[in-house]
Amino acid sequence: MLHLLKIELKKMRDYRTFWVVCGLYFITIGFSTASGMEFLKWLASFIDGFGEELNIDRIPLYHFPDVWLNLVWWSGLFKVLLGIMVVISITNEYSYRTIRQNIIDGLSRWEFIGSKMLLNILLSLMSVALIFVIALITGFIYTPEIQWKYVFTDMEFYLAYFLEIFEYLSFALLLGILIRRSGLTIILLLLSSMLELIIKLNVDDYFPDAIPFFPLESITRLVPFPFYRYAFMEIQDYIKISSVAIAVGWTVIFNYLAYLRLKKADI
Amino acid sequence: MQTVLSVNGLTKDFGRIRAVNNLALEVKTGQVFGMLGPNGSGKTTTLGMLMGVVNPSAGNFTWFGETPTHHVRKKIGAVLEHPIFYPYLSGQKNLELNAMIKQCPVENIPNVLELVELTARKDHKYKTYSLGMKQRLAIASALLNDPAVLILDEPTNGLDPMGIAEIRDIIKKIAANGKTIILASHLLDEVQKVCTHFAILQRGNLIHTGPVDEVGRGTETVEVNAEVDNLNEILMEFSGTSTITKESGFYRVSMRDGFRSNDLNRFLFDRNVVASHLVTKKKSLEQQFLDILSSNPQK
Repeated sequence: MLHLLKIELKKMRDYRTFWVVCGLYFITIGFSTASGMEFLKWLASFIDGFGEELNIDRIPLYHFPDVWLNLVWWSGLFKVLLGIMVVISITNEYSYRTIRQNIIDGLSRWEFIGSKMLLNILLSLMSVALIFVIALITGFIYTPEIQWKYVFTDMEFYLAYFLEIFEYLSFALLLGILIRRSGLTIILLLLSSMLELIIKLNVDDYFPDAIPFFPLESITRLVPFPFYRYAFMEIQDYIKISSVAIAVGWTVIFNYLAYLRLKKADI
Repeated sequence: MQTVLSVNGLTKDFGRIRAVNNLALEVKTGQVFGMLGPNGSGKTTTLGMLMGVVNPSAGNFTWFGETPTHHVRKKIGAVLEHPIFYPYLSGQKNLELNAMIKQCPVENIPNVLELVELTARKDHKYKTYSLGMKQRLAIASALLNDPAVLILDEPTNGLDPMGIAEIRDIIKKIAANGKTIILASHLLDEVQKVCTHFAILQRGNLIHTGPVDEVGRGTETVEVNAEVDNLNEILMEFSGTSTITKESGFYRVSMRDGFRSNDLNRFLFDRNVVASHLVTKKKSLEQQFLDILSSNPQK
């Protein structure tokens, strides 16, 4: 398995686009998550009364354990960049026809798709690690009084976050395998949430219970929107087992369909 | 001799079109096996099936007597259609990647680069290579795992005469080491120059298979000239003569079955004629190819 991952990394190591997209992804996430307090101060600087009615230092954006869910939810918004990278990496294999040569040279089709899945897992793990480190650092900086029992509370959001990224990348991989052309695949990837929304709006009137089972919906339902809690509302601050089950189900389906498609194709 | 490849009833349909029809072939160790056929006759589709990238509709084949798996493919070096590499990687890096996939030592890379004379350009990106260099890198990559069998599909396609000669030399060098080579081409001349055996495909059907040597057998043509005025009449008297044509200063005599050029030579000598020019022309593969194609009218 490690061998397959090494092959995939060898392909990517000298590919400039890969570094640019991944660099943008990690830099954007890194800076945007770390500068939330600066953002609030900036808002306060020109909105009259913002800082007076609401003491921004009392918004516990980065306090343990809030910081975990806040940052995980926020960085989930940027996964589309990684999705585009995955699409480029798989559609390149079709446009260069290197997928054909890889198999002629002795990879099985399962090994080929497996190496792409391993890259997806690696990218997901790296996202988790990055957010974990940033949250830990900012948490220690901004939390007024460190209470150790809160520092490592809510760790389960990282499992949900990993699943969120990996399910999304699996979806991107499947689209790439099905469509094979980078431009069209990226457009469809960007439009897919909107397309699903249109279907959901129509289904909602008749079968509201079916909504959580939609594939992209299952991705967004993993990590609940956290910021309502600062408007004195109750939020869901735990992960639903049912959401995880649906997300795992779709992840397996995406990857299996990608394999099935590749197995049956003439390349 | 050991059987390297055995193909049985291999068939491929693309929708309603049958690209390869019920193909049966045997390739043995040490053969240089040419697959001939016009464009679109099913050569590349056949090789694609043998290399696991095209799923057969029916039939089967064995490599080295085993049912094919991706492990078997690691023992074969193949270039189908045109060279395929990652354009943003250098030649060296591309070969390193291939070595990882084939699970063979990277120490082989300098040797194969040397063989195809690409050592000086190995660190340049693949996309900067000329077509001839790309073809040579493809051959280097196919040789990387020291394969038992080498499959080349139109290896001289699109090359200039010098490039063609270079690739042909490389193939001969490899064949001299006793490697089995399967060479698909529509260039008859190429197959005749390097192959020991050949097969002809037409519209997915195998219409001929056999050794290249046999092509020359059968009826012979002899070019003759001598310093006599009535050479034409003398030649007509020879009982082995079938037809005579005069061509660029020579008489071209087609022989009847069973007569050879030495029979003609003896006949002329008995008539006190000494030939100043006597050349046996073997029937070319091209002639044979056209004969075979025309005897198999297209349905």
